[in-house]
Amino acid sequence: MSEEVKWNKTISDVNNGILANLAKPHPTYYVAWAGAIICLLIGASVWAWEISTGMGITGKTSPVYWGVLITDFVFWVGIGHAGTLISAILFLFRAKWRNTVNRSAEAMTVFAVITAGLFPLIHVGRLWIAPYWMLPLPNTNNLWVNFRSPLVWDVFAISTYLTISLLFWYMGLVPDLASIRDRVKGVKRLVYGIMCFGWRGTATQWHHYEAGYGFLAALATPLVLSVHSIVSWDFAMSIQPGWHTTIFPPYFVAGAILSGCAMVYSLLVPVRKMFRLEEFILAEHLEACIKLTLLTSTIVFYAYGIEFFVAWYSGNPYEWAIFEKRAIGPYAFYFWTMVFCNCVFPLIWWSKRMRNNIAVSLVVAVLINVGMWFERYNIIVSTLAEDFLPGSWGHFQPTWGDIGLTVGSFGWFFFWFLIFCRFFPIVSMSELKLIMPKPFSKKH
Amino acid sequence: MSKRPGGVLAVYRYLDQLTDAMKLIKDRTDFRGHEVFSPTSYHEIEEAGGYGASPVRFFTLAGALTGTTCGFLLALWTDYDWPLVVGGKLAGLYSVPAYVVIGFELTILLGGLMTILGMLVMGRLPNPNQRILDVRFTDDRFGIFVPNASLDGEQAKLLKQCGAEELRIIESE
Repeated sequence: MSEEVKWNKTISDVNNGILANLAKPHPTYYVAWAGAIICLLIGASVWAWEISTGMGITGKTSPVYWGVLITDFVFWVGIGHAGTLISAILFLFRAKWRNTVNRSAEAMTVFAVITAGLFPLIHVGRLWIAPYWMLPLPNTNNLWVNFRSPLVWDVFAISTYLTISLLFWYMGLVPDLASIRDRVKGVKRLVYGIMCFGWRGTATQWHHYEAGYGFLAALATPLVLSVHSIVSWDFAMSIQPGWHTTIFPPYFVAGAILSGCAMVYSLLVPVRKMFRLEEFILAEHLEACIKLTLLTSTIVFYAYGIEFFVAWYSGNPYEWAIFEKRAIGPYAFYFWTMVFCNCVFPLIWWSKRMRNNIAVSLVVAVLINVGMWFERYNIIVSTLAEDFLPGSWGHFQPTWGDIGLTVGSFGWFFFWFLIFCRFFPIVSMSELKLIMPKPFSKKH
Repeated sequence: MSKRPGGVLAVYRYLDQLTDAMKLIKDRTDFRGHEVFSPTSYHEIEEAGGYGASPVRFFTLAGALTGTTCGFLLALWTDYDWPLVVGGKLAGLYSVPAYVVIGFELTILLGGLMTILGMLVMGRLPNPNQRILDVRFTDDRFGIFVPNASLDGEQAKLLKQCGAEELRIIESE
């Protein structure tokens, strides 16, 4: 793709162009940051309310013990998928457009997974004893965690994913931090010098760095695909109608990549404006991100269809009842919002003009995020609200507590993401130089 | 003897001039211990330097295999220590399929951590007494540093011939 990309800049413009803009973001940056803090404060107060009052402030009640909080958990883990997909899988495929967006996508991944990790803790209520339920820690009962439980697998999957994403992201930052070190003076120089481990950019360092990056990408590739598969097993390993299906792992992975790519786009467009990166993140790169989103959207569309087909074809009345309830029952609103946002609206991206229309694409990308949240809500709530005991059937409604915690999670995520954008190069400078025209003295 | 010798630093603007110089000096004894600097990881430099396969792969392999072993052993050992018989499913080796997930995750985790360690060890990082010869090497310039050389020597002449835009003396520290 990059063969057709027309660069107006050379590698000599990269450090100046990107670092100079970090220092003075557009005023909207501060507005966004203030907004994030307000949301974060709302979330923190609701969490304090939940801890002091009890789990009743959320909508959780028998039999719906997994409600909005687990929806938020799955949503944020899903968002976290695009980062490592872009940095690892697209690296192995040598997709050049990734070099402009990988840093922001990786930062997004790290903060999204941290946000996701909060939700099981919020969800269990007494989070200070949660480590004993999650990790194999010695305790007075001499009991260990049950390694046959998908929930324990999930703890291992998410913490491994967070660690590897963090390493990937930081490893990419090292040469760029050295670039900052070489531009600043005094204490700042010392701090950036420590953070970059004293990187000197020698050919041998680059040689081992490249080898390490490749191996990390090779390890992270199966990891990306496995994490959301394991999250899907939290559901699929149970015998609940609507959950107990083998399509769940690929279906969840496709959904995660869809929501992640849509989130990358929704973050990239404003960040590109705030930090004046239009000369480096080109329209072609944004369009490539849209193409990936469209691809995963069609896979998700297919998965929705197959899920229905299998529910009908299996001849299992319980399974079919759930699907009927989703489509034309009390959860129809959530279901159709999900279908329109995830499958129907993205279809306009088949038109090249629409893919390149940033305003329209941004709206659709945000709608996909809404749709993906509704998808998780739909899966979790509709299955649980009417179980095998008709006496306990009811309708689940999110409470203000649920909504406050969800708003708070967005505040928490954007708080960290925006801080990151201000102090670290949001475009990977060393990798950007690789896809720009090489500095040859003569035409090759 | 000084720990860090002085020498000649050649700064290049163009990648092809750098790789030309690298190929010429690669095997010459009077250039022994030279260092090449680059703002990013161009494959042309790796080819010209002829570095071969990086030993980082052995770190990755060792970490990954340790992870696999630890993952299975952790799950099996806790299982034998206090069998949790859930739904009539026997503990121990009978449950190995479920432990594949734990084995897999620890393979990736320790493999990844060891890869980073390998990269740091092989790249001599962290490097607290970082000797920055030229700040432009993390921006847009390439460089070759030849220890114990002088500006009027044979080495400097060769570097200049290849197109160095600047040659200067680095004092020993």
